[in-house]
Amino acid sequence: MKAVARLVFTYFTGAPLLRACTFVGLALIALDLYFVATQPGPGEKLWLAVLGLIFLFVGSSLMPVTFGRLARSHSIGVLPGGRFKLLLSAFITILLVALPVGLLSQGMSISGANGSLPELMKDPRVRDFVLGVAALTFTSAVLFAGWLYLAIWFLTSQRNLAGLFKGLLVVMLLIFAPARDIHDFTVSLIWNLQQIAVLWFVFGAGFLLWPRFKAARARRTRERFAGLARVLTGRTAGREFDVLLGTANPWLLVAALALPLLLMVRLVGEVPSAWLFFLTIFSGVTGAFSGQAAERSRALWLRGSWSRAELFVAVERSIWRHNAYVLGALVLVIVWIGLDAEFPPVLLAAGFSLVMLGAVLSTYLGLMITRGLRWPEIVAGVVVMFSLMALGMLAGFETVDLTTVFALEACMIALAMAFRFIARRRWMQIDWMVCRPDRALTARGA
Amino acid sequence: MTSTTVEASNLNKAFGEKHVLEDMSFGISPGDVIGVLGKNGAGKTTLLELMLGFTAPTAGAVRVFGHESYNLPGDIKARVGFVPQQDELLDQLTVADQLRVIASFYARWDSALIDRLCSEWGVNVNARIKSMSVGERQKLSILLAFGHKPDLLILDEPVASLDPIARRQFLEQLLTLSTDEKRAIVFSSHIVSDIERLANRIWIIKEGRLDWQGDLDSLKESIVRLHIRGTGPELPAFKIPGVLNVRRDGAFATAVVRDWTPEAQETLEKSASVQVEVETLGLEEIFVELHR
Repeated sequence: MKAVARLVFTYFTGAPLLRACTFVGLALIALDLYFVATQPGPGEKLWLAVLGLIFLFVGSSLMPVTFGRLARSHSIGVLPGGRFKLLLSAFITILLVALPVGLLSQGMSISGANGSLPELMKDPRVRDFVLGVAALTFTSAVLFAGWLYLAIWFLTSQRNLAGLFKGLLVVMLLIFAPARDIHDFTVSLIWNLQQIAVLWFVFGAGFLLWPRFKAARARRTRERFAGLARVLTGRTAGREFDVLLGTANPWLLVAALALPLLLMVRLVGEVPSAWLFFLTIFSGVTGAFSGQAAERSRALWLRGSWSRAELFVAVERSIWRHNAYVLGALVLVIVWIGLDAEFPPVLLAAGFSLVMLGAVLSTYLGLMITRGLRWPEIVAGVVVMFSLMALGMLAGFETVDLTTVFALEACMIALAMAFRFIARRRWMQIDWMVCRPDRALTARGA
Repeated sequence: MTSTTVEASNLNKAFGEKHVLEDMSFGISPGDVIGVLGKNGAGKTTLLELMLGFTAPTAGAVRVFGHESYNLPGDIKARVGFVPQQDELLDQLTVADQLRVIASFYARWDSALIDRLCSEWGVNVNARIKSMSVGERQKLSILLAFGHKPDLLILDEPVASLDPIARRQFLEQLLTLSTDEKRAIVFSSHIVSDIERLANRIWIIKEGRLDWQGDLDSLKESIVRLHIRGTGPELPAFKIPGVLNVRRDGAFATAVVRDWTPEAQETLEKSASVQVEVETLGLEEIFVELHR
């Protein structure tokens, strides 16, 4: 248990900034609990709890990264009970992050009532109700946090198509499943517990048995799919620049988006705002590939006649050649759904421009990353993504004037131009000692 | 066309507040095989990558074939080969595909040489790169730098992950390449015996400065260990110019000195009335003494 406790402690306190987030989060939650226990109408202090939870979640964000690194390392195989302890530490972390949600929901459930929580809980009916809501909220939070960590793990540890694909699927489930539960009113404590049991049993078994499975799978996959892999990755003639940059085969990304798109068709139905919301996410992902371009261009520098400025132009061209296929597929989806659901042409135009904007903004934001991923790029990425998603949903509402949407899109175009300007300037001074795959810190120290 | 392969003057490089290289000046000529020695973090990789134009100097300049390295034109880049410390291979490709991809960037690519080396080094061209061991990947990285027969070959710790047989094969190949008098080779390594065997010039980098540059023989003549014997029971007081460290024991003393000359020996023997025997040191010992 000592190792598990140490791991959990490290997840929350492993880096100075995350440690600060954890402590701030705990302090805010404690403050809110105090209000819940002592004051009537504690629901009004909900913002404290929400803020505290966000801080606590961010504070624990080292977990998926550490978990991923340890899970893939060779050393985990020689540590006594290594994989089991690692799994247990992840589960405990999720419980710890979800626990305040359950506790704080008690305050929510008596919001507006006269009297503080301890006083109200003296009534057995209120007590049963409050505890029932707490258990339900807690188990829902365990499920939600588990999915969220899984998405972070996929997106941060596997910076390739497989990771992207898995991350997208999880994000879709994450958005869709709770919404469906609320809409259909199907959520119950038993159902939540069943989901937790099944999910953790499957994930745990898969995780613990992975080393054996991997060895057997590698042997079989090599034999079965050698030909197919060659078709997908082996076409290099005439496109060597793209191969080194990772943009040679756009069909892989189209294929990786196909399944989530099909799921969307099944799950979302014909709600315009939901459609535009998801398509905006997908278009953002299309451009996000450019985030690795600066690192990969290191291999190109010595092998061509480009200056740094010319290399930027060549890279930009290669990325847009790649994106064109994926955007083409997304536009086809918009047109298909739009015609099928009889969306008005103006809405289709708004959706079309949104998808384009998503790709353009994320492409140039990615190209701005020439010194590793830093806070300004992270913040800009989050702001842009949320703005696009909000704009997507806004465009879908019948009550919203589309002129407003187009005006906001014009602002986003200006932002995209600013991103391109910054990216180009950064590429003119690109330093490949700092910008190299997974070696930024080492390079700075050498 | 300039006759100097690389020329650097007052080269400085800092990452933020950290000064990695300070005030380095040097020249590399065709036919030079330069072995770069230095402790971890001394600045070897930074120096090599400055020459390649991966990064800009904070002050000073480095010119490759007469062109500023930070803005190398294409025809000059085609004359440069580089083996990085950590390979930059594409995992999803096969060896043959990777070779084809890189070859396509060069007008002159010696496929026959690469085929022969693949065969001699036991590199399976049909193997997928992600299934290769670290040593195999390193062999492939070296092949990728050889194929266009560069006039300047820069290798950053190229043998660190090779087994003894592969290392020997690689060194033999490097020896063959170094016989071309038009070509200059710069390589860093922690394996001092390799540098001793291959290099005709040695650079020792210490705390970001070029502590020594010259040929191996001069280095060995310059940095020596002295065995000093007095005539009485105790050694008299004496001062040795360029002393790196000294150990006294009664009538005896040993000292490691730099910039040693026969004249300095004669002066010491006469002024302190002592007998001095000079012991030549190996490169590894010199390196250790310089960093003591």
